[in-house]
Amino acid sequence: MIEFNSVSKTFQEITNTFPALSDISFAIQKGEAFGVVGESGAGKSTLLRLINALEKPTSGSVDVEGITLSTLENKQLRPLKKRISMVFQQFNLLNNKTVAENVRLPLEIHSHSVHLTVDEALNFVGLEDKKDQYPSQLSGGQKQRVGIARALVTRPDILLCDEPTSALDQSTAEEIVQVLKEAHKAFNMTIVVVTHDLPVVKALCQRVAVLEKGELKTILDVNPSTEPAENKPYHERAIEVLSNG
Amino acid sequence: MVENVRLYLERVAEYLPRMLESLGETGIMLFFAMLAAILLGIPVGTLLYLTSSGRPMEHRLLNRILNAFVNIIRSFPFLLLVVAMQPFIREVYGRATGDPVAASFPMVVIAIALYARFVEQSLNDIPREIIETAQSMGATTWQLVWKFLYVEARSSLIVGFTTAAISFVSYSTIMGVVGGGGIGDFAIRYGYQRYETDIMYTAIVLIILLVELFQWLGLKLAKRLDKR
Repeated sequence: MIEFNSVSKTFQEITNTFPALSDISFAIQKGEAFGVVGESGAGKSTLLRLINALEKPTSGSVDVEGITLSTLENKQLRPLKKRISMVFQQFNLLNNKTVAENVRLPLEIHSHSVHLTVDEALNFVGLEDKKDQYPSQLSGGQKQRVGIARALVTRPDILLCDEPTSALDQSTAEEIVQVLKEAHKAFNMTIVVVTHDLPVVKALCQRVAVLEKGELKTILDVNPSTEPAENKPYHERAIEVLSNG
Repeated sequence: MVENVRLYLERVAEYLPRMLESLGETGIMLFFAMLAAILLGIPVGTLLYLTSSGRPMEHRLLNRILNAFVNIIRSFPFLLLVVAMQPFIREVYGRATGDPVAASFPMVVIAIALYARFVEQSLNDIPREIIETAQSMGATTWQLVWKFLYVEARSSLIVGFTTAAISFVSYSTIMGVVGGGGIGDFAIRYGYQRYETDIMYTAIVLIILLVELFQWLGLKLAKRLDKR
């Protein structure tokens, strides 16, 4: 369980301070797929970064599985971070490492008693044939699959996704959502997805928090769409959007 | 014409043993300078990066000390650094002149300062996202440095090393002043002081070839390791 208790975060600039989050309280249940949506600057990335202690709250507390993060030193945070993985908007792969080396990296940072093998992780995202290539040889969607494989290889309890589809075109984004959905089903971890892209959370999440200017407006239960996600080719979609009044 | 070429070759043959000896002395000085750049320049440069403001090991005092060291050494006119270090070299090595190992001391000092700055700049060029990725994984600073920073910066570290090594060649030519020898000293002694211009140019061509070789090797290696 991830709990936000009256969390505020202000960033100090040279002349003024501006609030990124003000008085946020909510809880994400274990195993839930939870979305956080909002426009740019709503504070959603800050909220995500609080969960793995990349940021510390100005006031209030963030508890992950009963542990208040702000009470821990960097060293004590390591065992917690070991069980949290992150998927990034810009993929954040190491360009000088092969696909397989990138996926293996988290296993070199901590020793895990239970984990996937690099091959299993790459199989899961459908990239087993790319293991010896370098990120620069991959498309955006493939890079994000590597990012997901790297996140899954440790069998995390919590998967944080920061705008995972925002650097991708629509059909690639849908593929990535499918991969994340399958990962949630297969590995049964808590997923927190931050995005401005509403269809992404609609397809992936059970509950969604709506942020506006640093304030939590509401938490919605997602009504899953009954019709399967359309997977039209790009040129058909282009005709649909551009030509049909 | 043919006669001139024959005369020139004869002179080169005559001076060849001295020239090779000088090259050997240059080699000794470059060896110590490069070794110091790698063994000490890299750690100093990495610490400069890690301790600067906003970086993972932010430490203002240590950063100031390291910066002061690098700046002072680099702003010293090299000839004065050589002279200023004489008492120290005599103290630790027994003699300060007349031998390429003694002459290597100032080379080592400038090598550390120069390459440390290159290393810091290479690390500064790594995107912030990479550091954040390491931190999100809970990597220790040691892991951040070895598994992320050096991996992503490796070509730029090699390009910087190449540039530094070429500067070392240039610095080494001054060491004749304290009897350190080397190919630069050879060129000055025979060409400038004894008016044997042909021999001087031969030595200069050798220096140019040495620099070209470093540049070629460095860029080739950097390119091979760059997968961006």
